[in-house]
Amino acid sequence: MTFARHLKVLVVDDTTVSRMLVCDGLWSFGVKDVLIAQDGDQALKMLMQTPCHLVISDYNMPKMNGIELLKAVRAYAPTKNTGFILVTGKGDKALIDEGRKYGLNNFLLKPFTNDGLRNCLEKVVGKLT
Amino acid sequence: MSDERVNIVQGEFAVGDKPEVVIQTLLGSCVAVCAFDPVAGVGGMNHFLLPGDSGSKGVDYTVRHGAYLMELLINGILKRGADRKRLNAKIFGGANTVKGIGEPIGQKNIDFARRYLGAEMIPIVSESVGGSVGRRLKFWPASGRAQQAYIAPPKEEFTLPYQKVGNAKAGEIELF
Repeated sequence: MTFARHLKVLVVDDTTVSRMLVCDGLWSFGVKDVLIAQDGDQALKMLMQTPCHLVISDYNMPKMNGIELLKAVRAYAPTKNTGFILVTGKGDKALIDEGRKYGLNNFLLKPFTNDGLRNCLEKVVGKLT
Repeated sequence: MSDERVNIVQGEFAVGDKPEVVIQTLLGSCVAVCAFDPVAGVGGMNHFLLPGDSGSKGVDYTVRHGAYLMELLINGILKRGADRKRLNAKIFGGANTVKGIGEPIGQKNIDFARRYLGAEMIPIVSESVGGSVGRRLKFWPASGRAQQAYIAPPKEEFTLPYQKVGNAKAGEIELF
């Protein structure tokens, strides 16, 4: 089994189409063990029950944005080292610096391509094949 | 009370919750999606044109680009207090203003808007799309009221997807 098939990923986004685009990208390079959450609260509950290697979260979500989710993930002992990629439409320095302060592993700018998603992911977890 | 006008162009969006705010734009082959929550009295409009050639980025790059623009609009409205479950949408534009050159871009934009709103389960409560002439569009986000005028009278008849209410003549303002 390739490394990609071992990886368990949680995708967090409040928009159906955006979740589909991330999942579609992950599937295209063999990452098929994917969980989905519609918001930060749901994501945290899922992580408490099902440990994941990596969280890929949208930044711009209404109730709890991606940085707030990152802070909560890092504050919970079992997930403090879980990989975390922030998907955002704006890559301004302030946002990235704030993310790094809370242990963000990488960020991905929208709109992204499948190759871009793969490169971003491999910088966090290593080569998938 | 006089209107507070907000003009947007391609690639932009605006949201509002005050009764006097009206969002305006001009549409050719671009599409504008107007989304609003009739209970919270908040809404917004975007104006997008999908990239015609995704080149080496892959055929789904156009979808990703469009999805991002839609997400900006919807999240902008939600942040103003709208409830996603109550959102309604109206779509305008997508005219085939330049005939005979490759794939009709307007129709691509219309199809994307319909598919996106369908996937997000946001009902399209009215629309004026297609045809061969541009549109001048006004949208009052707090009420969800929309007003459209064709920029030039249509030279040929085109079939509207829904039955028209009333007997507005071509070129006159229509309320949606």
